[in-house]
Amino acid sequence: MCSPVSGGDYDRLETLLKNLPGMAYRCLNLKHWPMDFVSDGCYELCGYQRHEIESQQVLWGDFTHPDMIDEVDRKVRSAADSGQPFEVEYRIIARNGQEKWVWERGRAVDRRSDGVVILEGFITDITDRKRTEAALVRAEAYAQAIVESALDAVISVDDQGAIESFNQAASSMFGYRSDEIRGHHCRSLAATSFYREFDRHFQRSQTPTKIPLTSIELNGCDKHDNEFPIVLSMREILDVGEKKYVILIRDLTQQRLAEREVREQRDVLAHVDRLNTLGEMAAGIAHEINQPLTAISMYAQSGLRFLRRPQPQLRRLEDALEKLSQQAHRAGAVIERMQEMTRPHQSHQEDVAAEHLLQEIHDLGEVEAQIRNFIIVLRLDDDLPRVKCDPIQIQQVILNLLRNGMESMRANHCKPGSKIVLQARTTPTQVRISIIDGGLGVSRKLEKQLFQPFATTKASGMGLGLSISRSIIAAHGGQIEFNNNKTVGATFSFGLPRQPD
Amino acid sequence: MACRDNPTETLLNERDPQQLVYVIDDDEAVRDSMGMLLESADLPYCCYSSAERFIAEHDGSQRGCLVLDIRMPGMTGLELQQQLAQMGSSLPIIFMTGHGDVPMAVEAMRHGALDFLRKPVNEESFLERIAYAFDQESGDWRQKLDRDQARQRIDSLTEREHEVFLLVAEGLANKAIASDLGISERTVEVHRSQVMKKLGAKTLAQLVRIYLQSE
Repeated sequence: MCSPVSGGDYDRLETLLKNLPGMAYRCLNLKHWPMDFVSDGCYELCGYQRHEIESQQVLWGDFTHPDMIDEVDRKVRSAADSGQPFEVEYRIIARNGQEKWVWERGRAVDRRSDGVVILEGFITDITDRKRTEAALVRAEAYAQAIVESALDAVISVDDQGAIESFNQAASSMFGYRSDEIRGHHCRSLAATSFYREFDRHFQRSQTPTKIPLTSIELNGCDKHDNEFPIVLSMREILDVGEKKYVILIRDLTQQRLAEREVREQRDVLAHVDRLNTLGEMAAGIAHEINQPLTAISMYAQSGLRFLRRPQPQLRRLEDALEKLSQQAHRAGAVIERMQEMTRPHQSHQEDVAAEHLLQEIHDLGEVEAQIRNFIIVLRLDDDLPRVKCDPIQIQQVILNLLRNGMESMRANHCKPGSKIVLQARTTPTQVRISIIDGGLGVSRKLEKQLFQPFATTKASGMGLGLSISRSIIAAHGGQIEFNNNKTVGATFSFGLPRQPD
Repeated sequence: MACRDNPTETLLNERDPQQLVYVIDDDEAVRDSMGMLLESADLPYCCYSSAERFIAEHDGSQRGCLVLDIRMPGMTGLELQQQLAQMGSSLPIIFMTGHGDVPMAVEAMRHGALDFLRKPVNEESFLERIAYAFDQESGDWRQKLDRDQARQRIDSLTEREHEVFLLVAEGLANKAIASDLGISERTVEVHRSQVMKKLGAKTLAQLVRIYLQSE
């Protein structure tokens, strides 16, 4: 072993080498690199003591992974031949069988008299670094795969909003290739009418906040100027030197279509439902129309007979005609009700003045009340607020409840001129509408089947109204409640949501 | 005068003044219009809004006929028919039926209803049916009167006279009756003349008729 350094220097060098995380060496550039000097780091690196290596009981080439030894050899040889330093990374197998990645740097320092090149260098364990690198590569590939296979558009932008990356989904959603959109402001992905909203959201995303960002819904705009509904969320990418943002965009076109389809189907179903029930009710309707027809025909015949008498009784004829006309109206009302139910009605909730709505319903109901000789009393709070409802449907419900009440009053033999109350009260969240009758009330038995189609106490009723009414009120987010009154009759009520002032 | 030529009208004009049309229907308009039609035909009538109300007033003295809605809340027309039958009423019943009520109407006919009319009712046939019902009821009524009278008279007989009466009505000769009852033929003759007197029968044939009427 030849040492180019003096004694004191050597000690200092020894200390330095001991503390290096790796192994310094000197070897011959022969097969398997026999070592004539290694530093103490050799033990930690490969599990052999210095003397075992320096005595050349084991050669460095024995540790080198057989898959890599040729490549290492080639690199070292070519560097040695040209007198250049070399750097290689390769795997070794330590004494305990453990595989390690090492990094080696060395160079030819001398030549033995027989011409064999002497190498000096340093080898250190880089297994941890390699592992981290591999993990990083994997993570990156993973992230890339996710971004590229995502159904949502994933777009990254810089702090000015310029687009930096554009995934596959973004390309097919907006029609731009990623290279043609790069550098454009991300705002251009929104429809013009939504620019302001988009910018506001972008600004908000840039304000540091702990609150998770909400998404916004707006219209996107593709390369060919087609607008389509999207939902967009934006987030800062953390831990990079410069600020960047990732934008996620989902195309809502299909969802919107599906939603509309569901809505349409529900309307159709409701219509079919009404028609079905109508079919079942044919007998009931025939009965309801038959009653006034029977009366009409008999009044007409009576009138003729009064007229044909030797002394025509014009007074009675007049009575007959008047009553006949009433019955014709009654038959008309039945048919109108039928039409109400068979007409497909697209539910449409709007902002309505409660007072106006109720006044109108009262006027409509009054016609029917007159036929029955009852009076509808309208009892409204002052300054009723506006409500959100489908006025046609609510009209249907209230008229139905009024009719039920009046039928029940008739069954209870209420005197002509008896009153049924239509009342509206304001609560903090609702307008509460009640129909208070003086009828038979709801018996325990009836209570259970009240909302089922065909449950009826009425001789001429169809027993259907309440089941439809219930579903209408449910669609308004409420339910129909009922109580028997303390003295006589029952109260049916429900609430309509107040429209904010 | 036109209406005089109408056979129904003529028939109705000869009706028994005690006869009334009892209209029972839960629909006020149907009731009212039917009342007006009856009024226009000069027929006295009385309306009830339910079977229960009619039953409450019924005491067996009512004459005439019932016009009864088959389908009513509470007691139905059919139930009223059955109850009246149990009470021994012989008032003829004309049912009024709706669209799908034919099976019920058939059931009503099976239980002795006079007829059923579909709503809306044809007025001519309605009045015709009422005339027929009145006629029927008059016959029934006379028969009932005769029966009541016959029974009343028979009730006035003594026990022995009643025995003799039954055997005479069966057609037995005095001799056979005497031997049957273990009394003398002379005694039978006395009883027999007493029976004829009490029953108001002048001939054997009249006696037999009274016997038959009482059944």
